[in-house]
Amino acid sequence: MFDYLANPSRFLRLSNRLFMPIGVITCICLAYGLYLGLFASPADYQQGDTVRIIYIHVPAAWLALFGYVGLGLCGLFYVVWRHPLADIAARAIAPVGAVFALLTLITGALWGKPMWGAWWVWDARLTSMLILFFFYLGVIALANGFDRPERGSRPAALLAMVGVINVPIVKFSVDWWNTLHQPASLLRSGGPAVDSSMLTPLLLMLVGAHGYFIIVVILRMRALLAERRLTALRLRPGA
Amino acid sequence: MMPKQKLPQNAPVTGGDTSCLRIEALSVVRGQRLVIDRLSHAQEAGAYCLLTGANGAGKSTLLRTIAGRLPAESGHIHCDLPRIYIGHADGLAGAISGRKNLQSWAAINDIDVTDTELDTALGGFDAGAFADMPIQLLSRGQRRRLALARLLLAPQHSLWLLDEPNAGLDVNSQAQLETAINNHLAAGGTVISATHNAVAASMATIFLALGS
Amino acid sequence: MLGFFIIIIALFPLAIGPKAATLQTLGVPMIWIAALLSSLAGFDRLFAQDVRDGWLDQIALSRLGLGWYAVAKAVAHWLTSSFPLLIITPVLALMLDIATAQLPALMVALLIGSMALTLLGVIGAALAEGARRGGALMAILVLPLAVPVLIFGALAAATKDAIVSPHLMLLGAMLALLMAMAPLVAAAALKIGETESGI
Repeated sequence: MFDYLANPSRFLRLSNRLFMPIGVITCICLAYGLYLGLFASPADYQQGDTVRIIYIHVPAAWLALFGYVGLGLCGLFYVVWRHPLADIAARAIAPVGAVFALLTLITGALWGKPMWGAWWVWDARLTSMLILFFFYLGVIALANGFDRPERGSRPAALLAMVGVINVPIVKFSVDWWNTLHQPASLLRSGGPAVDSSMLTPLLLMLVGAHGYFIIVVILRMRALLAERRLTALRLRPGA
Repeated sequence: MMPKQKLPQNAPVTGGDTSCLRIEALSVVRGQRLVIDRLSHAQEAGAYCLLTGANGAGKSTLLRTIAGRLPAESGHIHCDLPRIYIGHADGLAGAISGRKNLQSWAAINDIDVTDTELDTALGGFDAGAFADMPIQLLSRGQRRRLALARLLLAPQHSLWLLDEPNAGLDVNSQAQLETAINNHLAAGGTVISATHNAVAASMATIFLALGS
Repeated sequence: MLGFFIIIIALFPLAIGPKAATLQTLGVPMIWIAALLSSLAGFDRLFAQDVRDGWLDQIALSRLGLGWYAVAKAVAHWLTSSFPLLIITPVLALMLDIATAQLPALMVALLIGSMALTLLGVIGAALAEGARRGGALMAILVLPLAVPVLIFGALAAATKDAIVSPHLMLLGAMLALLMAMAPLVAAAALKIGETESGI
């Protein structure tokens, strides 16, 4: 399948066909999920309405991680198999994943204030997410850090691969650090077990967020491909 | 570390297909520009190939791609000879002397070289006089001569990839280079050189034009 | 480099206050942060000169290969940059009122940690070779990767009554992983060689 998609025009045709269906599913899931999450589902007996932020916080966190794994895969395809679209895909995914990571941190802070009384706590998960955000920034900075833009593709791909190996290690080390330095009263940010009435909107938001991610990445890839074609046309001798 | 081994000086070229370098439909992209477009070329032992073309036509790119420093977009390069590459930069580390540079170079290429052999190589370009000074104190031409002295340490059956080898050389040294190339070709080696030098043009057996 | 390390250590108490009790808790972490920051220094130039001289091309073409070259650079950098830091650490420990009983654990942790940080620096330098603003870029590349080293290292250095601790063993595992990874990543990053003038 990946070979089939290697041709940019084939990718563009396929993505065009998929765009509408995915877009529709995304809108439905997000709309219904938000409605259920923000209005129809019950408030938590401990945290009240503030718990509703998990409907954004959890999908954002999941997609930040999912995005980085995707970035690492693109890196692998680029470095090992020199797949032509891998670089485009990586450049499309990186900022989107970074924004999801930032969103996770911000919603985490907004949640933290009513829950723990502070805008930021050095909770294991939030700290890991912060470092993941830095990983994203590193890949983006490296990919765009060269005078000739295409020079950054390979180092960024290698960094993404190194990063994917390191992300579990960082998560482990931060968990290790946190359990050893654990302050006396730390609430598990997951809270109590998720009840089914909260599960449905959560799943809907997850699916919707995935769809949103894919839509945005496809849009970005299209734009990047168009930009490349434009540059190639301009650089043609005699043009 | 890699065990040192003396490279066979007189290994015969394998029989059958006599070409030691074969390039098939090579395309190289640099900065989204197709610099080399489906180039095919074959070269045998004893051949002296001159790369011609305007500036920016891709001579340096081709030499670097054959040397393995740049990836090909498509196509294949088959080369069963050791490749000796001298590019625009001299390939000499600045803080140490020419002699030490050549010794290091020989060491990392598993070439056993005695002091006399080294002196002979340096003598081939009259570089013995300044071989013990740090590179950074030498003139452009002196550095180039030390860089070229490397060629005289290389195994006989090898592919020389030379990018503007005459840059900064005086007339004497240019003549010494041509002598070295002749000896190399006679012993079964082969050369690809990108140069505008007139003497080289008169000695070359193949001309490869790049760019259109 | 050594001066950089010493100055950072001297600046911490100036910012925090000279109270002995505070310094004692913060002493070991301070040395670690200073070690981390100083280990970044000088890395952005690690390969630049060799690239410009064309020497890197010769290494890439040789039997030696870029992997062993990266190892050699790492060793050389460690000997010139990290080793002096290790020598001076006991003196700094005195300045920061760190208990002498703590020194063996601190030194061993710093020994292993500095080697790990050097290897990370080599990875960063290879990836960022040729980029603009090499120094700042190196920081954003290497520091997130250095988080596990910092965590395990600080914990290992602060271990009381023992040199070997689970933290130290995890630090050692990080070092082992990096010893395997760094030459491969650096070689892969340096394999494609644009010339010094970008031709």
